[in-house]
Amino acid sequence: MNEKDDSKDLWVFTEIKDHERVDECALEILGKARDIADKLDQKLVSIVLALDAEQYLSTIKDHGVDKIIYFSHQDLKHYHERIFTKLIHKLVEKYTPSIFLFPSTEAGNALAARVAYKCRTGLVSDVLNLELDDEYGNNLLLTDKPAYGGNIHVKITCPSKRPQMCTITRGTFNKRKIRKSTINIVKEKYEFERNELKIKILGAPTRKDKPSSTLSDAEFVIGGGQGLGSKDNFEKLYDLAKYTKGKLGGTRRPILNGWMPEHLQIGISGESIKPKLYISFGISGAIQHITGITDSNIIISINTDPNASIFKTSDYCIVADANEILNELLEYYKIEE
Amino acid sequence: MLEVYVLIKQVPKSHSLRIDKSSGALIRENIENIINPDDLYALELALTLKESYDAHTVVMTMGPPQAESALREALAMGIDDAVLISDPQFAYSDTLQTTLVIKEAFEYLKRYDLLITGSETSDSSTGQVPYQLSEALDIPLITDIFEYKIEGRNFYCQRNFGHESQNIQVELPIMLRVRRHFNKPRHVPLLGIKKAFEKKIKIIDFNTLNCPDYLDGCNKSPTIVVKTEKFIPKRKNQFIEGTIKEQAEFIKNVMKENGIERQWTGI
Repeated sequence: MNEKDDSKDLWVFTEIKDHERVDECALEILGKARDIADKLDQKLVSIVLALDAEQYLSTIKDHGVDKIIYFSHQDLKHYHERIFTKLIHKLVEKYTPSIFLFPSTEAGNALAARVAYKCRTGLVSDVLNLELDDEYGNNLLLTDKPAYGGNIHVKITCPSKRPQMCTITRGTFNKRKIRKSTINIVKEKYEFERNELKIKILGAPTRKDKPSSTLSDAEFVIGGGQGLGSKDNFEKLYDLAKYTKGKLGGTRRPILNGWMPEHLQIGISGESIKPKLYISFGISGAIQHITGITDSNIIISINTDPNASIFKTSDYCIVADANEILNELLEYYKIEE
Repeated sequence: MLEVYVLIKQVPKSHSLRIDKSSGALIRENIENIINPDDLYALELALTLKESYDAHTVVMTMGPPQAESALREALAMGIDDAVLISDPQFAYSDTLQTTLVIKEAFEYLKRYDLLITGSETSDSSTGQVPYQLSEALDIPLITDIFEYKIEGRNFYCQRNFGHESQNIQVELPIMLRVRRHFNKPRHVPLLGIKKAFEKKIKIIDFNTLNCPDYLDGCNKSPTIVVKTEKFIPKRKNQFIEGTIKEQAEFIKNVMKENGIERQWTGI
């Protein structure tokens, strides 16, 4: 357990995805962390665990880091909870960072929770903003986190334990291309006894690629509702999604009408989305749906009723028949096959 | 006999939330509380296990005394016994404190083979406790499972892990975190409700655990909530007038600004 006085520097767990690329979210976090490091006059450090880790360092160097600490070993090809937790916990004890940020990915969330436990420190998950604050303590990290399905935002601090830890969702911050004139590279020695592993893998695992983009992490989402009027009209939304590389979702009504499968529901009993752009076609805006779309960056809505409640949650409101707008867009985006 | 624990949480129904304007705190009186929706899949898995294996199922929660109603509901579904971890000193525990208290509770209870949890809670949605408890009890946490079977002290299953699908073998005790829609949670049978009210709920409090000082959630939680605000999304609410063509043109421009391009496939 680190007390705050001897801790310094800002760390970002720079995850390597599918042993082939640096996680985009981790690079976005480096962008924001650079600002905070400057304000604190502390170093920004990237933490990398991978097989052949050297191949990723040049990408990371372009994103504002002062230092990279890495492990490179065959055992680090995939995330492994025991190995990663142990190595990172030892690093934290050795260097005592003040702030440690993780991308909110399957591995990032798991690892952050485990490391926070090991360090007996606090962890705030899926933060929407990070600020430095003097109201509650000198240069304390003040995090903003949604709760109750996004209906409420809470501000959380971790006043006395270190590191102050957070996970951050993709799309929260922007990447910045900056290369520092001096970047310190430190390779740590890999040490782990394999007999500490408790889970036995039987046979060769099969590669199971997840869909490249699911509704919840899609950058462009198209939503449909009752206002489209018929299954045939709703089918056109699928076309628009296909031609624009967007993801299709919708409200409860199209599912009940048999227009759309259940797993595409957006809202409180379905998926929450956070795209750069969400366009809703013929959706009235029941609270069940609104809850799932509030994290969208820009929302455009099309509805015939100028008083539809969806417009209160929209950036751009278009009072029109969603089908007519849809036809216009399809005419433009349609790809002849 | 397998000792199966299901860890659940009672949460407020999300549409009945109100905030006290002067203090900024959540109003907790007169709120309708429910079993956290994700935990229903965990309860269903325990009930299914009981049908195929010699298992004793226990539902456990940590919370204020009124969390008893969530436990009664689980008992009505068919869970055998219930444990309520409750003490004013556990109030305001953050995830780390919650983990430390549950760890002590399991050390006190001694026997456990399977601990089942849902994915995350609908109130704080951190999803941290399963991972932290796995670390605290030093037992593996298996997530995203499909087929499974138990033979003796071994648990076999197929799971998704990263971009792989793996067949694994792991020795009990373990933790399982059940994803949403893993199964179809059953309804509470009417007969079950009567039986549920006849059962005695085991209470674990600060004194039961002979608690070390660091388990005081009020004062020892590392994180502090300094402010709570009702979130009102700021939106432009700008109405786009014009003909259908002009309105569609506007949408195309916003799409273009966000990197959504027309994909030419040739002339």
